[in-house]
Amino acid sequence: MVLSAPPRSSPARQRTKSAAPQPRRRIKSASRMDAFAPYMYIAPFFALFAVFGLFPTVFTFYVALFDWNPIGGQTFIGFENFVTLYGDERFWNAMRNTFSIWILSTVPQLLLALFLAQLLNNARLKFANLFRMTMLVPYITSVVATTIVFASLFGRDYGLINSFLNLFGIESIDFAANTFASHIMVSTMVLWRWFGYNTLIYLAALQAIPKDVYEAAAIDGAGGFKQFIFVTIPSLRPVIIFTVIVSTIGGLQIFTEPLLLSSPGLTGGAGRQFQTLSLFMYEQGFGDFKFGYGSAVGVTLFGLIVVFSVINYLLSRRITSDE
Amino acid sequence: MSAKRIARTVIAGGAALALLAGCSGGGDTDGKITLDVWTFGGMGLDEAFATYQEENPDIILKVTNAGGSDEQAQALTTALAGGKGPDVAAIEVGYMSQFKAQPQNFVDLRTLGADDIEDTYLDWRWSQGVAADGSVVGIPTDVGGLAMAYRTDLFEAAGLPTDRDEVSALWPTWDDFIDVGAQYREATGKGMIDNVNSAIFNPAVRQGDEMYYGSSDDDLVYDSNPDVQEAFGYALDAIDADITSRTPSWSEAWNAGMNNGDFAVLAAPSWMMTYISQQAPDTAGKWDIAAVPENAGNWGGSQLTIPAKSDHPEEAFAFIEWLMSPERQLEIFQAHGNFPSTPELYETADIQNFTSEFFSDAPVGPIYANSVKSIKPIFEGPQQRIIDTAILNTLSQVENGEEPAADAWPNAMKNVTTALGG
Repeated sequence: MVLSAPPRSSPARQRTKSAAPQPRRRIKSASRMDAFAPYMYIAPFFALFAVFGLFPTVFTFYVALFDWNPIGGQTFIGFENFVTLYGDERFWNAMRNTFSIWILSTVPQLLLALFLAQLLNNARLKFANLFRMTMLVPYITSVVATTIVFASLFGRDYGLINSFLNLFGIESIDFAANTFASHIMVSTMVLWRWFGYNTLIYLAALQAIPKDVYEAAAIDGAGGFKQFIFVTIPSLRPVIIFTVIVSTIGGLQIFTEPLLLSSPGLTGGAGRQFQTLSLFMYEQGFGDFKFGYGSAVGVTLFGLIVVFSVINYLLSRRITSDE
Repeated sequence: MSAKRIARTVIAGGAALALLAGCSGGGDTDGKITLDVWTFGGMGLDEAFATYQEENPDIILKVTNAGGSDEQAQALTTALAGGKGPDVAAIEVGYMSQFKAQPQNFVDLRTLGADDIEDTYLDWRWSQGVAADGSVVGIPTDVGGLAMAYRTDLFEAAGLPTDRDEVSALWPTWDDFIDVGAQYREATGKGMIDNVNSAIFNPAVRQGDEMYYGSSDDDLVYDSNPDVQEAFGYALDAIDADITSRTPSWSEAWNAGMNNGDFAVLAAPSWMMTYISQQAPDTAGKWDIAAVPENAGNWGGSQLTIPAKSDHPEEAFAFIEWLMSPERQLEIFQAHGNFPSTPELYETADIQNFTSEFFSDAPVGPIYANSVKSIKPIFEGPQQRIIDTAILNTLSQVENGEEPAADAWPNAMKNVTTALGG
């Protein structure tokens, strides 16, 4: 594109040669088109992003300053929503739940993924591709279907997990009612959905590690476990950072599982025991018609995710520069 | 949480999008008028829609079922917030106070002749569709009424009477009801009722003159109204007497429990008969219907509204008038069990002689008619549902043993204050 473009004439020359011959002008406008073209190609994304991403984000900041009924009036109240919010125990409860569920789902999930990736990377594994593909099945299964199955597994009276516990003389646990048990239940669903995705990412990274590094380690007398700790983990560092960042952003926004388990109602259990920040935001906005207050939750969640992303970024930059 | 409800939620998500996409056009073709009608599951209106379509070839009914009443309310909120809306929208009574607090979003049906049909409906049911400024926002659909559905086989095993009149006579008051539950626990070791919210608090709190509001939007009485505290007390007594099987309504365990006999009694509005017979078809003939303590109650019902953006309010109103006429409501009741909200039917042979085979041929017509006649109009303000949720959630926490009963009332009041303050 650049190669075919004629040399640019300076603005001054352009002005003096106002009566330029027709063909030359056409070439000039074509060159302008050429300069403009890349923007045209990326425009669809940015146009859609502006409409569905940027505008709602900015507008949320605006709405958060109002007492805003979606089907009624709006009154400007400044930062009152935020003042109320930071004194609202339901908000702090949702915050605790979010972090608890995030840690309970992310940590085991990434460890499991690393372990499975290691297994799947074994050269002696038969039907390796079949097993690798299978990892993705939970990821592509609808969350709703997953939630229905897991909710029934975790059921108090007829759940499979409780029947199993009963075999060992352990009393049935009311997973939905108890705070910690409900976090385990939600985290299990999140873990189930994402572990395959992370496994495949780790697997791809594992396959990129040159074989001779392992051979050298083996010659130096490192066993399987030592190789894993001193060769595999350091080589995977950038990928591990990537998965931690993605899981953090996703984990802070967990919504669908608690929403579906909460139905009917949006409180995430009678004691709000598994209501996450996203669900609290939804409850305030769409359940209680308090768009302003819900937006204040959204803005806070946004800020929280920005802070975590920055921490992650700084951390990963330091680790990369260590190398 | 049941699979059915989850599926509904998902369908509703899609439906909401379809609704928003669909209602923007409203193009009328060949002089025909299209009426956009938004309903939700369980209203039992499908045959009536078909009949109307047949009788009115010039009107095209475009019916969209949003799923459940929650999804419908959310879809309608989204549409109204975007300055759109269908021609007719059903709103469940639980959401009605929230919507009618903003009456400018709806056509005041008095301008279309609602005053002329007001006397056709139960007065308290009519008032659920009237906004604080007096404008009529919605016309009542069916009325829930309330009775206690009980398992005769389980009652027999517990040494309790099984005849419906004798069972009704067991519990003229809520205290008696709780005593019967205690006897049942002693005899069988099981809880008699499904949960205290549905079986005790909800019916009991609606038996007074007032609930959470006095007579206006600003007149909050939830913390001072003795009726609320009394109903709350009954629920706590029931938990203390251990008469509950702690099975949340609409959960999968609830559906299973109807089949397996995990509980023997559940509060059953008229429309619930259909639900029970669908969820527990193998228990046909093992159920019967008795009166609810204090003999009055309601659970459910909807209003049909016309959003202000409707292009055809006259036609929409004529359609609603036809759809909710006594004749039509009788047909709907006979086919689906949704009880009519038009009292002129109650003394007719159609209702008086109506029995249900599934419920041991119980005369459900007169039982439900009796339960709705003595209800008084209760003023419901805009935060009605928020207050209700906070109180019911507190009771569930106590029922599940997650919070001590001693602090339940102050906790409930604190939760309401927090919910209202947010």
